[in-house]
Amino acid sequence: MSLLPTPYEFEKQYEDDEELATELPDRPITSLRDLQYLYGRLYTLATAGGGEYASYLTPEKSTDLFDEPESLAVLRVDLSGDEPRLDPEQPVQFRTYTRDLVEPVAHSWFNAARGFDHSITHRTGKGKDPEKIAEYLTERLTAWAADDVIQETVTDHEDGWIVEALAELGEQEDIDDRIQGAVEERLEGSTTALTTVAVKLEPDGEYRLPGACGSDVFNVAMRARKRSKLVSKGEATNSAGQATDLVTGSRGRTVGTAEDPLNYFLGKQLEKFPGFDPNEAWRTHPISEDVAVTLMNASTFVDACSYYTLESNVYYLPYFFGRITPEEARELYRMLHDVVVEDDLTPVEKVYKAYNRDEIHEELATRMRFYVAAVLKHQMKRFDVFGDTLDCTLFHPVGLASAHDAVTNSWVFDADATLPHSDVRPAMPTHENWEMLVADEEYLLGSITNGWYFRTTFAEPDDDQTASADDFRIQALVAALSGDPIPASTVLEEYVERLLDDEGEGFPTFRVATQYAQLCALAEAGLLDGEDESLTKATTYTDQSMTHTTDTRARADGGSDREKREAKLELFLEETPALSSENPERRGGFLLGVLVGQVTGYQQVSEGRSTTLVDQYPIKAITDTKVKRLTSDVIDKDVIYSRDKGLPSTMYGEVVDRIVETLPKVDADGGWSIDTSELRYYYALGVAYGMNNWTTSDEPTEDNEATESAEATDD
Amino acid sequence: MSRQSLASRDSNLGLPETCLSFEIRGPWAHFRRVEGNIVKQTYRIPPRTTVAGIVAAMLGLERDGYYDAFGPGSSRVAIEPVGELRTMNVPQNTLSTANEHLKTVPSRGHTRISMPDPTELRQQHNYELIVDPAYRIDLQLADDDLFERFRDRLESGTSYYPPSLGLSEHLAEVEFLGSFDVQEHDPETVRVDSAVVNATDSIEVEPEKRVRVERAPGYMAADEGGRTTTDFLSVGYSPAGESLLVADAATAHVDGRRVMFS
Repeated sequence: MSLLPTPYEFEKQYEDDEELATELPDRPITSLRDLQYLYGRLYTLATAGGGEYASYLTPEKSTDLFDEPESLAVLRVDLSGDEPRLDPEQPVQFRTYTRDLVEPVAHSWFNAARGFDHSITHRTGKGKDPEKIAEYLTERLTAWAADDVIQETVTDHEDGWIVEALAELGEQEDIDDRIQGAVEERLEGSTTALTTVAVKLEPDGEYRLPGACGSDVFNVAMRARKRSKLVSKGEATNSAGQATDLVTGSRGRTVGTAEDPLNYFLGKQLEKFPGFDPNEAWRTHPISEDVAVTLMNASTFVDACSYYTLESNVYYLPYFFGRITPEEARELYRMLHDVVVEDDLTPVEKVYKAYNRDEIHEELATRMRFYVAAVLKHQMKRFDVFGDTLDCTLFHPVGLASAHDAVTNSWVFDADATLPHSDVRPAMPTHENWEMLVADEEYLLGSITNGWYFRTTFAEPDDDQTASADDFRIQALVAALSGDPIPASTVLEEYVERLLDDEGEGFPTFRVATQYAQLCALAEAGLLDGEDESLTKATTYTDQSMTHTTDTRARADGGSDREKREAKLELFLEETPALSSENPERRGGFLLGVLVGQVTGYQQVSEGRSTTLVDQYPIKAITDTKVKRLTSDVIDKDVIYSRDKGLPSTMYGEVVDRIVETLPKVDADGGWSIDTSELRYYYALGVAYGMNNWTTSDEPTEDNEATESAEATDD
Repeated sequence: MSRQSLASRDSNLGLPETCLSFEIRGPWAHFRRVEGNIVKQTYRIPPRTTVAGIVAAMLGLERDGYYDAFGPGSSRVAIEPVGELRTMNVPQNTLSTANEHLKTVPSRGHTRISMPDPTELRQQHNYELIVDPAYRIDLQLADDDLFERFRDRLESGTSYYPPSLGLSEHLAEVEFLGSFDVQEHDPETVRVDSAVVNATDSIEVEPEKRVRVERAPGYMAADEGGRTTTDFLSVGYSPAGESLLVADAATAHVDGRRVMFS
């Protein structure tokens, strides 16, 4: 549930262009801080109106607790007598946090690992046991009320005595035990809750929550506490000085340790500060107090636009290029609102859906940009950022999804595409359980942005619990989102590593096919980089039908099958730049794979053998030094089967002929120079191709020849 | 805002009509973005203040002593990326600068300095580095003496301090390209070869054409406690090192190129 007004309500409220323009930044967005400032402005515009403390509160942080049982833990403090005391009858009360309690609870969240929230109301971590809840409640008195900044602030407030009395109560000797006892009495199991106090100020009065107690002392203290964090954090105690605000460009008092919704800037790492002094942080990172509070308010939107994948947090923040117009601001609000209220889709999917439906948004879509970053958190406050960029467009992931969609719909993958003969299989196998081989563009876009697209094809790191700088999946993800190409050679290394992991349980045909569809899509989308152009160049399987067919005559010896297969192989080689005749090593590896796959298929179907050629020659057996010997072994095997079967010519002659023609070229070119993983990948691709290369007539029926003749006659 | 400020600057500059052009390049560069200290991301275009610092280093000017000479009224700089700007994530082992890991020497007395303790264990951090960066810089300086001294440095291929690209370990090569006349043009829609300064919203957006933007320190001033940035500049550029089409841009002609000075 969200507290944000609907896009319609927002639009109604800010329908005047001129008025809205005055509220928006007067500069184009050119940095992450600019973007956070814009988000903060939109958030404040949407939610302000709740009084002067509105921009300091963070009601959005706990909407997930609405209507949850035991989601509000209240310490009931009686301040109506001479001495502050816990309510004797019910010192602790558990309630259900509801929407109408937002203002009374007046929560101001603070992103600190071991600190407390700015407001007296503090949100616990997930699923805390009674002991921990009691500790949080006690800290309302001993930590919040007793805090130096808060104490100093309330001294000047007419109702400051309320906070002072709470601190005084916190000093009572056995207060923690009494609170713990009270909590244990009422809470079984664990809960996630806002912990707060309710105070009774009159002897016959009621217990009231901080924001409804009749005084603004709690909010004043909260504001002071929040402001204090702008100048003190970590080792910094008072980081403030006269400088130029890096967002607005105006000169004035700036603070150095403003909270950053993305935590890129913290006071901890002294090395960046002049003279190793965090108090000098404002010199390198000057932000005015107003801007600082606005940046904090960006966190609702920023958090909503992030998701977790591949052990990292991916941020995907939409905006419009240049200086934002009122129309764009309303549009951006709509997007952010939607991302906040529905959390099943990533921001890019939502925007894509909206723009795909609606052609009038074309102009907006052209100016649409995303800030993208993958953040790897090593510890709470030590993390690395990959591929952080402000300039992602919708085009890159959509382009990749659509390229993938096109290739899986081409004759290479799709059995429904027009093939030269109805009994010839597509070049690559597909299966409905392998989504990447059958999915539509929208599904693909989702899997690209949520990380699955590379998770399913790239090598899995040894330790998949810890994010690593070497995790190439993250780099590929960011590349797909930002349009920055990745090295083709690395992609192939990842593929082969994954295949080797898979290989224990039979040859991973569908994995190879999935990877190949992806490889083609990456090339088509311009996302592959490398010196060898034939590897990065797009294939031309764009047609749904094979471009040339052959006149196949009926032949009693099964030769018509050969011609059908040959036409397909020829076309595949022709339309695959990586396998052109100028690349005899890759082509040779592929053809060897085809033959192995083909013979394997024969062994399985006609011989009923459980151990096949592909088991004898797995991917890891293929190296440049062994490839020639393996080839001659495999051809020998093929010849023996042909003889056993009593065929007049060699089985799969169309492959053998090409192998015989191709491999000598490698020596003529000066020997093998191809990378092993490249050789292995194309070998694996060949195996997948060969294993899928059966025709109807390969089925082990007794009247094979008769069927074949009949079919051939039909042609 | 952008074009106005440029125009007003043009009219009050007492700058020579010539600029010095040089190319600066190296195997690596890291220009740390101000919005990160936990993360180590780099600007792709060296901030104007960094260019000033490089020139000052080559001239041997004193720390905090050159900001006026490179101020908005006394200098103009155009920066053009030469070729593609590519980055790489490079993990580096660094020493902790947390207080408890700092070593202060001598242990007592008035003049003490703190530094990371080299005997401590290293932490690995990811640095975003630019690979094989090269930039062409066009520089105008109002201070004739500095201008001539810098020309001498460029001509003789010497430098007072070794020039580097961002961090001291990323040493740079500098090649003098010559002195060129600067011919001003009235604002017009034109292809701009250099980085586009403070006019990013005037860049013509074309689908599938990559334009990048960043905002970095432009000018600095010294005060008693150190130095602060007095103005930040927004730049737009093509990561492929191509020219960008900019509407209504105030540009100058230098050596057959169109550049935007700041």
